[in-house]
Amino acid sequence: MSSDDEELAKDLGLLAALTIGVGTMIGAGIFVLPGQAAAAAGPAVALSFVVGGVISLFTALSASELGTAMPKAGGSYYYVNHALGPLFGCIAGWGNWMGLAFASAFYTLGFGEYLATFLPIPAIGLGIVTLSSFQIGALAAGLVFIAVNYVGAKETGRLQVFIVVTLVGILTLFSVLGFLQTDLSTLRPFFPAETGGATAILPATGLVFVSFLGFAKITTVAEELKNPGRNLPLAVVGSVLIVTTMYAIIMVVLMGVINWRQLSPEFTKTPVLDVAEIAFGTVGLAAVGVGLLTFAGLLATASSANASILASSRINFAMGRDRLISPKLNDIHPNFATPYRSIAVTGGLILLFIVVGDVKTLAKAGSVLHLIVYGLLNVALIIMRESNSEEYQPEFEVPLYPIVPVLGALTSFGLIAFMKPIEIGLALVFVVGGVVWYFAYARSKTEKQGILSEFILSRSEEMPDSAVTAASSMKPDGGQFRVMVPLANPEHEKDLITLASAFARQRNGILEAVHIITVPDQTSLEYAADHLDEHEHNYHEILDEAQRDAETFGVDVETHTIVSHRSFEEVFSTARSHDADLVVMGWGEDAHGSPGRVESALDDLGMDLPSDFLVLKDRGFDPEHVLVPTAGGPDSDLSAEVARLFRDAYDSEVTLLHVADDAAEGEAFLEEWATDHDLAHANLRVETGDVEQAIERAAEDCSMVILGATERGLVSRLVSGSLVADVAEGVDCSVLLAERAHKRGIADRLFGR
Amino acid sequence: MTAEHSDQSLLSHVLLPVADEEDAESSSLALEPYAPERVTTLHVVEKGEGVPDKTPVEQSEDIAQAAFETVRQVFPDAEDRTAYRRDVVEAILEVAEDVDASAIAFRPREGGRLARFLSGGRTTQIVTEADRPVVVLPREGEGG
Repeated sequence: MSSDDEELAKDLGLLAALTIGVGTMIGAGIFVLPGQAAAAAGPAVALSFVVGGVISLFTALSASELGTAMPKAGGSYYYVNHALGPLFGCIAGWGNWMGLAFASAFYTLGFGEYLATFLPIPAIGLGIVTLSSFQIGALAAGLVFIAVNYVGAKETGRLQVFIVVTLVGILTLFSVLGFLQTDLSTLRPFFPAETGGATAILPATGLVFVSFLGFAKITTVAEELKNPGRNLPLAVVGSVLIVTTMYAIIMVVLMGVINWRQLSPEFTKTPVLDVAEIAFGTVGLAAVGVGLLTFAGLLATASSANASILASSRINFAMGRDRLISPKLNDIHPNFATPYRSIAVTGGLILLFIVVGDVKTLAKAGSVLHLIVYGLLNVALIIMRESNSEEYQPEFEVPLYPIVPVLGALTSFGLIAFMKPIEIGLALVFVVGGVVWYFAYARSKTEKQGILSEFILSRSEEMPDSAVTAASSMKPDGGQFRVMVPLANPEHEKDLITLASAFARQRNGILEAVHIITVPDQTSLEYAADHLDEHEHNYHEILDEAQRDAETFGVDVETHTIVSHRSFEEVFSTARSHDADLVVMGWGEDAHGSPGRVESALDDLGMDLPSDFLVLKDRGFDPEHVLVPTAGGPDSDLSAEVARLFRDAYDSEVTLLHVADDAAEGEAFLEEWATDHDLAHANLRVETGDVEQAIERAAEDCSMVILGATERGLVSRLVSGSLVADVAEGVDCSVLLAERAHKRGIADRLFGR
Repeated sequence: MTAEHSDQSLLSHVLLPVADEEDAESSSLALEPYAPERVTTLHVVEKGEGVPDKTPVEQSEDIAQAAFETVRQVFPDAEDRTAYRRDVVEAILEVAEDVDASAIAFRPREGGRLARFLSGGRTTQIVTEADRPVVVLPREGEGG
């Protein structure tokens, strides 16, 4: 990729970034919540918004620093997972995702309310559930937002800038006209006794905090920003400041024009429209004002909902890459080029929340979950700074460290305390859910450890024992390299185990010996499992032996017996379900149906290899002199890896062979290939002419040939008589065939390690 | 078509735009029998140009890498290009000009009328707008 392309990959400017933040935040507070907020704290709710803005500002500064240091898709989730490890990553990821779904449902319900002011939508009773007219409107709107994201119409994005600029314009006009109508006496008492006076400010902040969820979404697209070192902090901090100021002014205006008691949900669903009628009424344009603000309300809630759906697919992507959720969720639609599954799942949740939730509960649930994520984000910043990691080089630094992130964490977590017990309980359910998810699912999949536990484990001497124990017992184990060996024939068992153990030992991995017992279709699997002795006498002996052999190499070994009607397919499906990284198996002439042998039942396998495969044609395991014929390509990368392993473990002499049309070109190729694969000291041999004969000639001096599959699906095509099969028959020594995993393969290996 | 193209053979340098791993596999297998002399694989990352994208850029780049690797299973020497553009067809034509491709080869995507409409009917667009030969590769047969 050239540097020009790098530039093109980053096409978001400051205005676009600001509109993501402002556009998401401006919808909720003004158009959906003012009634609830007025009921919660009276005119003092303006201060609640200011408090919310200040809390957000601390976190916004922290998010900016983390964003410039790690401009990665996923934003807050990514930073927490990276710094605190996957346990907290699960909490933050699920919290952030569900928080966005709650918030989207909430915005969409707001959209429904504005829609219902001018469209006569009937309420519908569906058995036990009754859907009000605005829920129907919200469901319809929700479906449209989800569909638009599902097919990925590019124009929705471009609209965002227009929408936000229009919104800010309408709201400014509204504020100015409204301000002329405010009567200061209407604002008194500023701290009404009914709401609990000044003490109502913080609980009201808890309610309106959902209005501040947008700024962190900017970090989810940090990688797409131009000049992120400057634009990210400006957009994040700037959008918080703009929105807080607008909220405070508009709250004062709303409650200065109409007494706050008349704004509460008992009297009106859309207080902004009532105020607009009066404010614009003074210039004789009451209807225009109501129309404009209705339009603005639709725009604002739509853009907030849309941006939330978009941000959630970024979080899913980041979680999938870290294997905290199935990466399948992020598959890209072949025609629309959108992460359609992730959008569909999030969309389904949003529709569900619309049906079951009311506005206030959704707002608070969204707020609590985001507050947890924000709190963790501030902690993540402190960890990154304290661990002195070399890769951590933020272009923007939080001022007054550590005061700002400490305040950010304390105020974020602290605000949760002002929620009702039931809302805190709901949030705890998600936290516990995240923890359970980690231990039940993610722990065995993810490979990331997190800076925190690395930090603790690397200083295990100085740290308190409890911290070290905690860190090591929470560590993910999905990173362990798994070598699977399907065993059938006791005769070759030892060589296969030797080879597999060498790999497992080199990668600090686990060896998994699997004995697959094939039974005829007529026999039920349950029956066979209970009567294994009848099918294979001493069936456990082969595994016991494998275990003993592996343990002599100092490798951890697990054994399994699998009863199956099919044999070879079972190897594939076991490799897939056990997440094997490498399968080592034998390849012989004996009969079909013998498990652990490649010949049987190959035709329907297709070309989808679940892991790397090494297939040994065993004529005695002797890695003294290894021959690697290569023509380049990913499978020969695997042969190179095997050759290096033999060289390091058995001091093998390695010969590389390349068969070319032109000797000089071939030499150049082979030299480069050898250097690239860290085999520069190997013997190089370039030949011309027939490939098969050349390999057979070279193999005469060698004790083992490692062949990389030269085309896809070779393992599955071995029987059909290909070049590889001919070569394997033609030479006298052992042959090892190497084929790279296909499906799971490339992207995984690039980023999974 | 200009004279500079007519003195080279049609498949002397083929630009092969691919969408993902699967498309890369079927496209390169479809192109293989015609033995092109030189192949450049192209993946276009759709950009919003000033707005957030449909897909995270990192994810698009992963997909591009996987597609390039897949093409190299068939054409080990294939070069690759990643273009970041709002308009996919425009990007294909620009890169074709840039690498001086003798032809653009691609396999039309499947999908019904609606899907084609939504994804912009790119087949027609490439064929009508290209300033160089366009090779439409046959759809793969069963079993590929």
